[in-house]
Amino acid sequence: MRILGSLAAIALAAVMAFEPAAARAADTQQSLASESVIETIKKRGVIRVGMSTFVPWAMRDKNGDLIGFEIDVAKKLAADMEVEVEFVPTAWDGIIPALLAGKFDVIIGGMSITPSRNLTVNFTSPYANSSLGVMANKKLAEGLAWPEGYNSADVTFTCRRGATPCVYIQETFPKATLRQFDDQGQTVQEVLNGNAHAMISSQPLPAFTVYDNPDVVFSATEEKIDPGNEAFALRKGDPDALNFFSNWILLHRSNGWLEKTHQYWFGGRPWADQVAN
Amino acid sequence: MYPDPDRPRTFGLLDAVVIAAVLAAVVFGWFRVSEVLVYRWDWAFLPQVLFRRDEVSGWWQPNVLLEGLLTTIRLSIWAMVLASAIGLVLGIMATLARLLPRLLSMGYVGLIRNVPPLVFIFVFYFFISSQIIPAIGVDVWARELDGFGRTVMGILLGPADILENLISGVLCLALFEAAYISEIVRAGIQSVPASQTEAAKSLGLRPLLVFRLVVLPQALRAVTPPMANQFILLVKNSAIVSLISVQELTFMGTEIAVSTGRRFETWIVVALMYFVLSYGLALLFARLERRGRRAYAR
Repeated sequence: MRILGSLAAIALAAVMAFEPAAARAADTQQSLASESVIETIKKRGVIRVGMSTFVPWAMRDKNGDLIGFEIDVAKKLAADMEVEVEFVPTAWDGIIPALLAGKFDVIIGGMSITPSRNLTVNFTSPYANSSLGVMANKKLAEGLAWPEGYNSADVTFTCRRGATPCVYIQETFPKATLRQFDDQGQTVQEVLNGNAHAMISSQPLPAFTVYDNPDVVFSATEEKIDPGNEAFALRKGDPDALNFFSNWILLHRSNGWLEKTHQYWFGGRPWADQVAN
Repeated sequence: MYPDPDRPRTFGLLDAVVIAAVLAAVVFGWFRVSEVLVYRWDWAFLPQVLFRRDEVSGWWQPNVLLEGLLTTIRLSIWAMVLASAIGLVLGIMATLARLLPRLLSMGYVGLIRNVPPLVFIFVFYFFISSQIIPAIGVDVWARELDGFGRTVMGILLGPADILENLISGVLCLALFEAAYISEIVRAGIQSVPASQTEAAKSLGLRPLLVFRLVVLPQALRAVTPPMANQFILLVKNSAIVSLISVQELTFMGTEIAVSTGRRFETWIVVALMYFVLSYGLALLFARLERRGRRAYAR
């Protein structure tokens, strides 16, 4: 029996060796291509986009519909793919697990590329580069020099839990106290109330808040801090989708569409009357 | 807990003092808050997030926040029904003499009750419900409905595109609450004196009839107050499924608070909505309890 077994093994090995390597590669190629999320989207006729509300990336207008920079991006993408777009509003904390669990096809949610995130998901090339902004309380932080003055045990920063500014604050201001909140609104409110010296978040929130409350807060610095790279996030192991989305971004970067759209949403607030306030 | 309908209604000095003291505390608190809080109150956005005008028909329709409220109501009702059914079965199993059903019920309760709700919800949502729900294919079924079926489903379960989402929420809440309800049911059944069972048996009733005609009605009456408590908890606990992005009141509240920047106003309105739901439920159960008592007195 044992001899028969090893004979069979040898025979199998021989067949494997003689099967042309090119044919095997073709099989792998075909299955990769047919399992791509691009194929699923085309078949379904709908691209499901995971996002989280964050002004002005995505927000609700007066009719309860979603508007914003990344909403425009996703709509344009869907139009170019000739499919419908369906938005899946998701709590920011669970957005990566939800992508991995297949609740949607892609995250277009102003997510900046970080090495630790990149170990779990794949990122396309960036479609936006937003820098961080600092908004500080006038009473508490007026005389402080940026950035040395803020690296002190007396200074309190706020940031949104799980967002990149938290890491930036911890690295740049190791002596300062950092308080993290789940809601971006609370990080702003704590500085407005004078319970914290400064908050850091991606622009334009700090700029808009300073614009609305010029007596209470000011921009601690005008320099562009820690410019980020916001990209689409995809499940791993899908080279076709990665290539398609990255090239879509490349195309709309070079023809200026992304730049123009970004300027509309971030440059000022011409859209303010669409939002209930 | 609830006003006795037969009590004499008089308004005395003590009432006046208490009311004045409460008002004074509220006013003092308000002044303190407005001194510390840098915030411009503005309620003008509220009607817009509650209602919107349909462009085609010109009718007023619920907007984001009211839709969230409706989803919370649907979520709570279905979760209550499902949790009661599972809880009743588990509770009855826990009172049986056989070991296997008792072990199953105790195991379930022991597992669910001692795990933090948040952890349970995350595990359930990402590992279990994402496998089960697409397999049943409800969303495909819902999208293909038309005409009358679509209207009925819209009222009972809400829009088709968030059905899968709603079902995850309902299952999560129901499985979680069922563990607590099962304990209530078990306590209720065990609170019926053994003499009742013995008396029923001596009349020649078979075990199933003893349970259905004698034990269960008395047990159900005994569990009305703790069940009311549990249901009110369920309505408020339903807020935690906002973390798995079920589009209910708390989730929609976050969306509105972030989009409009009117955080405190939004959360006050959301809290009021939860209060109305919970208090309404409390009143309903108080009524049921009174009716049960009257039926018992006869």
